[in-house]
Amino acid sequence: MTVLTTPTQPGRGNGLPPVPWSKLAWVSWRHYRIALFGAATFLGVLALYLLIFGLKIRGAYAAASACSPGVGGQACNAAFQLFDNEYHNAAEVTAAVLNAVPVLVGVFAGAPILSRELETGTFRFAWTQGAGRTRWTLARLALPALTVTAAAAAFSQLFGWFFYPFFATQTGAFGPQYFGLTGIAFAAWTLAAFALGTLAGVLIGRVVPAMAAAMAAYTGLMLATVLYLRRHYQAPLLARNGSTPSGANWNISQWWTGPNGKPVTDFAQIIGLIQHPQPGYTQWTVYQPADRYWHFQFIEGGWLLGLSLILIAATIWLVRHRAA
Amino acid sequence: MSVLTTPAQPGQGRGLPPLPWRRMAWVTWRQHRLTVADVAAFLGAAALYLLIEGLPIRHAYAAVTACHPASSAVCQNLANNFNTGGYVSQAAIVGALLQVAAALVGAFAGAPVLARELETGTFRYAWTQGFGRRRWAAAKLVLLAIAVTAVAAAFSVMFSWYYQPFLAAGDQTPLGSTVFDLRGVAFAAWTLAAFAIGAVAGVLIRKVVPAMIATMAVWAGLAFATGAYLRQHYETPLVTGNPNVPGSAWVISQWWARGGKPASLPAINQVLRTVGVRASTPGQFHAQGPGLGNVNPVQYLVQHGFTQMTSYQPASRYWPFQFIEGGWLLALSLLLIAATVWLVRRRAA
Repeated sequence: MTVLTTPTQPGRGNGLPPVPWSKLAWVSWRHYRIALFGAATFLGVLALYLLIFGLKIRGAYAAASACSPGVGGQACNAAFQLFDNEYHNAAEVTAAVLNAVPVLVGVFAGAPILSRELETGTFRFAWTQGAGRTRWTLARLALPALTVTAAAAAFSQLFGWFFYPFFATQTGAFGPQYFGLTGIAFAAWTLAAFALGTLAGVLIGRVVPAMAAAMAAYTGLMLATVLYLRRHYQAPLLARNGSTPSGANWNISQWWTGPNGKPVTDFAQIIGLIQHPQPGYTQWTVYQPADRYWHFQFIEGGWLLGLSLILIAATIWLVRHRAA
Repeated sequence: MSVLTTPAQPGQGRGLPPLPWRRMAWVTWRQHRLTVADVAAFLGAAALYLLIEGLPIRHAYAAVTACHPASSAVCQNLANNFNTGGYVSQAAIVGALLQVAAALVGAFAGAPVLARELETGTFRYAWTQGFGRRRWAAAKLVLLAIAVTAVAAAFSVMFSWYYQPFLAAGDQTPLGSTVFDLRGVAFAAWTLAAFAIGAVAGVLIRKVVPAMIATMAVWAGLAFATGAYLRQHYETPLVTGNPNVPGSAWVISQWWARGGKPASLPAINQVLRTVGVRASTPGQFHAQGPGLGNVNPVQYLVQHGFTQMTSYQPASRYWPFQFIEGGWLLALSLLLIAATVWLVRRRAA
């Protein structure tokens, strides 16, 4: 029996062409569609609640602002006070609870993607289907990251609409309880939670511990930002005796100093000074002026985006270098 | 070769005696020690935060109580500033954020217990180790429920300590929706309920992450329905025409009445028309037409024979409400855990 052989030509027989991105996107969609449905339902229910509650608030606000404060006498002041008392508390509680949404959506969407594959061992199958690990991981992570961030961005705009009557009548969106819910910060924090989830997933390799670790890391990051980092994005300004510009500034801290320049520590004395300022006592306020709000939003959104990209890059690097 | 055989005697060879419960307790501990440790670490970290934030609040309140004479303007201002200032809004935010703690504990501790075994298939091994399915499930769930509830109860003591100055100042109601379910027995009961919901979701859904999500969703719905609708009806609310309801009472609703009967909105507007004010709801007034001067519509209505009626729950009903809520949550949790144990029997191996 003769065996017919031909020598391989350089450039031929080099293997199959790589699996196209469209196929990888289809695989990613198939894996992700239930999670996307879940996230959409969750955000949808919250959005519906904000919509219904927000329309009620807007109706009351319209009635109250038909006579703006300071213009209509006692009846108008009473109207505004009633508006504030009735809805302010519930709206504040809603805003506080919404601070938990980025971490829940991000970690529940991000952590199980890689950690499930590693935990069940199906990565041995998934990584050997003709698409290399890097491209496969990128495809698996890109779709959830983009949709989750886009949904979060849309949701934060809805929150801005919901809370607008209170922003217009009081402190504004610069304070720590609202800054992370408005502008671009909400979407950026959701993406950061997602990225923390995926990195925890590939490091820990088991679903529930990865989710718990990602949530803990997110909480630490959030606390560090709100309590220390955010006020230093730009050097805060110092104001004497309340000479802050008008507008919704972020008053970071306030204290009084006596005639000798030493700070006043007695709580009762401070209250007395607030009621009746005395000569020789100066009030100092450290604050960030209101016009820096968008600047700060972009700084925070920017470093969170950078952190997310670094974390996702680290995830992909770990996937490549992990022994199968 | 002869074969020695003896006929089986009735009563002999009935099988091995069942394993003792303490062996199952050891298995539960070995499998779930990390979960219990994590729940303790999470609530412990939150408790540490409450400790750090609570000390300045106590300091400020001590200044309020040390102020003498208590009825002077300075001391009243001090108390007012404490009741409406930054400490109160910070505590409100902390209370609102901690609402998710019970749901998270239930989802992370309760859902994976059965869902993990069913999802990975290790139930085929776990249920054939000489300890029957139902006893296995009951032992695991009851032991973990006790551990998780104990940790939650300890945390709620810490939260009570943190919040105590605001309640002592008399301006906050202990029946308020973000405070009530974090103190007393309610927090432990809600955590136990979340654990039980997680257990039954785990055995029904059989996949870990969907079971966790379902647990949190169901718990959130139940907590919202209780806080918004159910809790105010545990006992019939008191109704009073006295506008000075104590600050510690939980005001449920307010309306206008004249001559002992509720007043309709057109009747109110008829009276207010003479001063050019219109009420769109019993609480919202705005200008309409001439005559709008320095008239407070609330005072005007009171002067013309209207009474502002308030329905409320007094603060003295705090502990009865705690026991009612804790009681039905405990019953629900026991029911759900029993249902889980029963459902385990029906799952095909």
